[in-house]
Order: sequence, then C-alpha cells, then structure tokens
Amino acid sequence: MKLAPSVLELDLSEIEKRIRRFIKQYVENSGANGIVLGLSGGVDSSTVAALSSLSIGGDRVIGLMLPEKETYNPKDIDDAKLVAEKFRLKTQICDITPVLESFYKTIPIFDQADKLCKGNIKARTRMIYIYYYANKLSRIVCGSSDKSETMMGYFTKWGDVAADISPIMDLYKTQVRKLAVHLGLPAELAAKPSTPALWPHQLAETDLSIKYETLDLILYGLERFMTTEEIAQQLNIGNTLVKKVKSRWLSAEHKRRMLLTAKLEYRTVGKDFRLPRDAY
Amino acid sequence: MKEKIILSLAQISSKRENKKENLQKIEELTIKAKEQAADLVIFPELSLTGYVVRDQIYELAETIPGPATKKIESIARKTGVHVIFGMPELSEKTKATIFNTAVFIGPKGFIGKYRKMYLPTHSVFEEKRYFRPGYQTAAFNTALGNIGLCICYDLFFPEVCRLTRLKGAQLIVSISASPSVRRSFFEILTAARALENTAFLAYVNLAGVEEGLQFWGGSRLVSPTGDVLAKAKYDEEDFVTCEVDYNDIRPAETFIPTLKDLRPELLDELKKHSETL
Repeated sequence: MKLAPSVLELDLSEIEKRIRRFIKQYVENSGANGIVLGLSGGVDSSTVAALSSLSIGGDRVIGLMLPEKETYNPKDIDDAKLVAEKFRLKTQICDITPVLESFYKTIPIFDQADKLCKGNIKARTRMIYIYYYANKLSRIVCGSSDKSETMMGYFTKWGDVAADISPIMDLYKTQVRKLAVHLGLPAELAAKPSTPALWPHQLAETDLSIKYETLDLILYGLERFMTTEEIAQQLNIGNTLVKKVKSRWLSAEHKRRMLLTAKLEYRTVGKDFRLPRDAY
Repeated sequence: MKEKIILSLAQISSKRENKKENLQKIEELTIKAKEQAADLVIFPELSLTGYVVRDQIYELAETIPGPATKKIESIARKTGVHVIFGMPELSEKTKATIFNTAVFIGPKGFIGKYRKMYLPTHSVFEEKRYFRPGYQTAAFNTALGNIGLCICYDLFFPEVCRLTRLKGAQLIVSISASPSVRRSFFEILTAARALENTAFLAYVNLAGVEEGLQFWGGSRLVSPTGDVLAKAKYDEEDFVTCEVDYNDIRPAETFIPTLKDLRPELLDELKKHSETL
C-alpha cells in the first residue's frame, strides 16, 4: 500500500448516507426528542450540526454556543450562526464566563498559570451545559470528535468528547474538511484552523506539532497495521516523528476506554460484562 | 423434484433480543412470500435475535427443536412455504454451548440445520467467544432440489461451498450479517463461489444498524456462471422474489467444467500445508 493523500479519499455521498442513517436510527431507537450539540463555529461541530439536521430535521436539533471571555471570538459565533441558518437548526448562546470564574475562585489549589488544567475546566463546563439541555429536553448529545484528535488523545477526558454518539469519530480531520464542503459548508469554514478553545489563540496543529495532512497519513498507516519504519519511509519523514505519534496514540487509550476497576468478582463492569448497548 | 423454484430473499433488520417481534416479522414475510408464489423464503444470519447481542446470547439461545423452530414449523405448515433463517442454537447436551446455526424448515417439518464452521473473531467480530464451530457441511435433498447451507464468513473459505456442492447442492444458501465496510468482499465472493462451483447461490444479508455496525443488505441470487440474477437494495430492508431454474446448471457446468476438472490430490497437499502454516 502506498501512503499518499489519495488513500484518505472517500465516497463522500456514501459516507454522508451512512452517517445520516446512523444518527437517525440512534435517535429513533433511543426515543429521544432530538439532538443537542456544542456548536463552536469550527469545522467538526459545524459538520456534525449539518449531518444532524439533515438526519432528523433542523427543528429537532439545538446547537449550543458556549463562549467565554478569554477565548471569545466573534468570528466563531458568526460562523456558528451561519451554519445554524443554513441547516435550519435552533441555537442558544450561554456565556459560561461567570461559571468558570466561580470555579477558579472556589478551587483552593487553583493555578492560574496552568493553562491546561484551567482549559479542561472550560471543556468540562461546556459538557455540563450541553448535558443539562439534553437531560431537560429529553435529547441525546451528539459529539464532534474526529478520528485524528481521538487517536491522539487530543481532547479533554469527560469534556468535549462526552457524548451519546460521535458520528464523525471514524473520519480523520482532513476527511471531515472534505465532508464539510460536500455538505455545503463554506470552504473557508471547512479549512478553518482547529482549536479546542481552552486558552486564547490556541491551535490544534501547534499543540500537536504536526500538520493534519501528515498526521492523518501516519495515523492511517498505523490503523492499517503498518510499522513506523514503513510509514516513515513512505512519507519521507523521520521515524522519530512517527514513533512519537504512535506513542501518543497508544498512551491515550485511558481517555478512550473509560471505567477501569480491579477484577475482583465473577463478572466485572468494563471487562467481562459484555452487554449490547442501546438494544432496548 | 422441481426444475424451477421461486425464492424470496427476505432482507430484514432484526429487532435485537426481541424474538417475539422477529418471529412475527418472519411470519408476515413468509405469508408475503406465499402471495408471491415463492417456494422458499430466506432470512439473514441470526435473524431470530439480531447480530450484536453479546452476553445476552446465553439467554436467547434455544435448542433445536425448541420454541422458535416450532413456531417456524407452524408458519411453514400453514403457508406451504419452506423457510431458512438464522438463530443461536443451544446444544441439547450442555447448558451454555451455542452454535451460530442456519435452520431449514419445510411445510412437512424440520429438514435440517447447518452450524457455522468459520467464526470470525477479528476486527468488530467476536464469534469464537460465544459460539462453538460446526463440523459438517450441509446439503439437503428436498422437494425443492438439493439445497446447501453456509453462513457469512464461510464464503471466504472455498472449501465449504465446494464440499457442499460435492455433496450434491445445486443451490447454496448463504445467510449473512455483513457490515458495510466489507461489502466489496462479499460482492466478489458470492459471484466466485457460485461460478467456481457452477451452482446457484442465494445470499441474504441483514439490513439496518446495530451498535454502529451498518449491515449493507444487497442480498442476491447469483447464477452458476456468476451473474447476479436478482438483487435487493443496499442498506435498507427489502424483499425480492426471484426464480431458480436448475436447467441452467448443465450448460454452465459444461462450459466451465470445474467439477470435472477437480484434482483431489491437491486437497491432500492443501491439508499438509495448512497444518504447518
């Protein structure tokens, strides 16, 4: 197999169809009234908003915009509104700044300088708002995590990844960008640099120290059981970089597979209670 | 024996863990098959219970005969239509040994069963965890001709269909629960198994979504020369009725004489080398 950008090409109409079927069936089976999602104005959440709306109708989808003062960017709000208008979904804006400030004030060991710990409070606070809406309005939460960031562990545990379903989690970032264009989102929005908005001017590619175009091909190679040497050789990059990506992928499994206990008894949650989900 | 038979490919989406509802669907569609003058109606792999049932399989599995097969026997008797469907079969001799089984029932009662020999346990599949493999291929002489059974992943192993054919099967029925990422494999394999054995092959797949697995449907009847004679929709539930004309086998077998050209000595070699892989 030759690792080249073409391996990431997809039949986007087929992908759209499969994701829409997945969302529609899940919502129908769950008996929920609809979907709640966080709408940041970025490519992932805009794509999921579009897919949700196309699957079950925009009137059954609420996009929550959850800005806070440190990372506030009016362009993100404008983009989110544009998506909501185009796909006819409802939106609400909740400024989470006062809640965040309460956390900062009331955590005795709070460290203003530790931007990661502080940023994770933001992601988890957004989760609480989204789940409040889902709970109150009997809806499910549709997550926006993509495969690149999920494999890299580039998300907040119990934060932005928290969702009932994650319709684009099997698509790499570069594939999501193409799907976004396919769905009719503006090219500029589809190409917008990604940020988890944990601190001002944060950019995913800076944090990950790699361009998504390269990262996605490395991850694709790992997914297809290629060795790091093979990947490095084919992409004409250093094996050290590939190994670093692989190591980060493997070490983040604790963020993807949660609920761990010591095996003590007959059948154990998360281990050998192997039950079907959502069959009822 | 009939020279031509009509069969219905009942590409359903099963309600997981709800045998009652699934049996009701099987009954309704068998009646529909009768209305379309079908002799045989075929349902997908594990259509009695749904595919992704995990540990619940221990509660769902039934012996054969058992309540589900008795119900299907009454449906077949009432309609006069033969039925093939899939279910988790509990061994009569033990309490938790289960097979992934295809059951063949006619208007006069139980005809036979086939226990899946190749149990996929890789990627999203975990069948060996739950099922014991079968040890016998199955071909049954019936009023509808000699009909053989296999299940899904068995199609990747040409020896299953070959042996079924050598036992006399003119129509090989493959019931399946294949998710969409594997569609292209099965589209090739169904044609290949029919062609290399110069036999009809009816493939009936699940439709619908179970835990993110999207079963691609695409059920079909393939001719002894590998042509797709009838095909159900992709992804959705569908019901297709089509005709098998056994007269088509002779010209196919003459034109592509794979059975005449069989080399049994290669099978000894195959055995030797597969033991030392």
